[in-house]
Amino acid sequence: MRASDINRVLDFVRDAFHEASKLWWRFFDWLAVVEWRQLFLTWFFVLIFCAMVNMPELGGWYIFISFAVKVLAGGKRKAELTAREATAQANVATLERRLMEAQMAALQAQVEPHFLFNTLALIGQLIETDPKEAARVHAHLIDYLRSTLPQMRQRGGATLGRQVELSRAYLAIMQARMKERLEVRFDVPDFLGSAPFPPMMLQTLIENAIKHGLEPKIEGGTVAVRAHVVGADLHVEVCDDGVGIDPHADDGVGLANIRERLQLLYGADAALDITTPPGGGACATIRLPYKMMEDA
Amino acid sequence: MSTIPDERPVTALIADDEAPMRDLLRARLQAVWPELHIVAEAANGVEAVELGERHRPDIAFLDIRMPGLSGIEAARRLYARSHIVFATAYDQYALDAFAQGALDYLLKPVSAERLATTCARLQARMRTRARTENGAAPAPQDIGQELAKLTALLETKGKPDKPTYLRWIQAQVGSSLRMVSTREVLFFQSDEKYTRVQTAGAEFLIRKTLKELLDELDPDEFWRIHRSTLVRVDAIAEVKRDLRGRQMLRVRGYPGELEVSRNHSYLFQQM
Repeated sequence: MRASDINRVLDFVRDAFHEASKLWWRFFDWLAVVEWRQLFLTWFFVLIFCAMVNMPELGGWYIFISFAVKVLAGGKRKAELTAREATAQANVATLERRLMEAQMAALQAQVEPHFLFNTLALIGQLIETDPKEAARVHAHLIDYLRSTLPQMRQRGGATLGRQVELSRAYLAIMQARMKERLEVRFDVPDFLGSAPFPPMMLQTLIENAIKHGLEPKIEGGTVAVRAHVVGADLHVEVCDDGVGIDPHADDGVGLANIRERLQLLYGADAALDITTPPGGGACATIRLPYKMMEDA
Repeated sequence: MSTIPDERPVTALIADDEAPMRDLLRARLQAVWPELHIVAEAANGVEAVELGERHRPDIAFLDIRMPGLSGIEAARRLYARSHIVFATAYDQYALDAFAQGALDYLLKPVSAERLATTCARLQARMRTRARTENGAAPAPQDIGQELAKLTALLETKGKPDKPTYLRWIQAQVGSSLRMVSTREVLFFQSDEKYTRVQTAGAEFLIRKTLKELLDELDPDEFWRIHRSTLVRVDAIAEVKRDLRGRQMLRVRGYPGELEVSRNHSYLFQQM
């Protein structure tokens, strides 16, 4: 009985002490950052209050202690607090960047199941009728998948040259499927091959051109990829002469992803423009700051 | 004009936009059902209907995704005369529909075993038809309802019915039309004869009036906040009151402010 009573008292004392020290350090922190002018004001009010309750010594102690603490420890404590805040902010920034990177990875990983099934079906059938062609399409499919799955993407893949190469793999597969209904034209000067260009954007535009522009068109058509430098910008353009864009058709996640990623990478310096030329079809242009090669 | 299948070979039509797939199906059919006579091959839906009407095949193998007309649309025109077998590589919604329905279908690439089973079933059906047949040929099977369901499923892509809203704003720029996705638009503002379309990086003038836009756009995507302003809800950054007590609205990616008229201030009433 008595032992538990003592324990209870001890617990209470410990808690009280703990609370008091917390309050004291909070007071200490407040003192460290408060402006002198505000401190003077509190002195004034405390003095009035203490005079009213007839305990002027208490007010004197308050003024003395706060003055001493402010003068002796204030500067150091203030610096500490600012440092802590700066660290916290830096952590938030790192977190935000990590989150963004993760989102980007997720955005980039989108292989159409339809495309995959159809291509596998095609390979399956070619194995019987034309094994050489089957091997060719199969190799293209591996190239394409490698570029599409972020965890398999090699380093240094984010150049225009590499992106064009991967797009050719995709287009070769589509040509094997669509035969004479799909014609492909590339107009990308060699010197632009080393220019940095974000992964999976060109592919998405080409996939859109085929899926929404050419596949629904009975006679098929042409996909033309063109890259050129305009002023300080690199323009990469994917045009098709397909059925054009239905104003009521959803623009899909593909284009929204490109816009979002351009915004994250380049801010207002990059853009994705969609136009429909008078002759029909659709053109998508990615515009971003041109650099000769990736930063080391 | 009755036809008795025993007197002439059973005929078939193959429709697929991908030539390799037609080749494969033809080769497989020849292997498992050598007597089957493939009378025509079509490379798109329109051709499938044309050839189907001309040759009146007993069986039509139709790919679901084809340019011109989908396999399902083609089937709706052909099923009265021809038995329909669908083919698809992957189509979740179609497969769901097939699983519940009485429709015949093949998965691509077509395996010999699966095709043999399908052909055996087709042959059995042809025989019963031949036995019961006297005079007018009955329809191979009544799949009209089934097809209507399938069409509805594919058109809405499995989503519940949702009206289609305007998703692209067309703005004349030089000789071509700029297609501005509604997701890019921050706000529309009427400007005498034109409507101004503001995006984060540019502005365009279009001839469509605000009233027309209001009717065509998704009301959950764009709100009218003023007689002359439609704003995209997702772009709103904050709403505050200015010195004169008007509600002013700031949108992401645009430096200026937009006024919310008194009639529309209920949109931003505090909870």
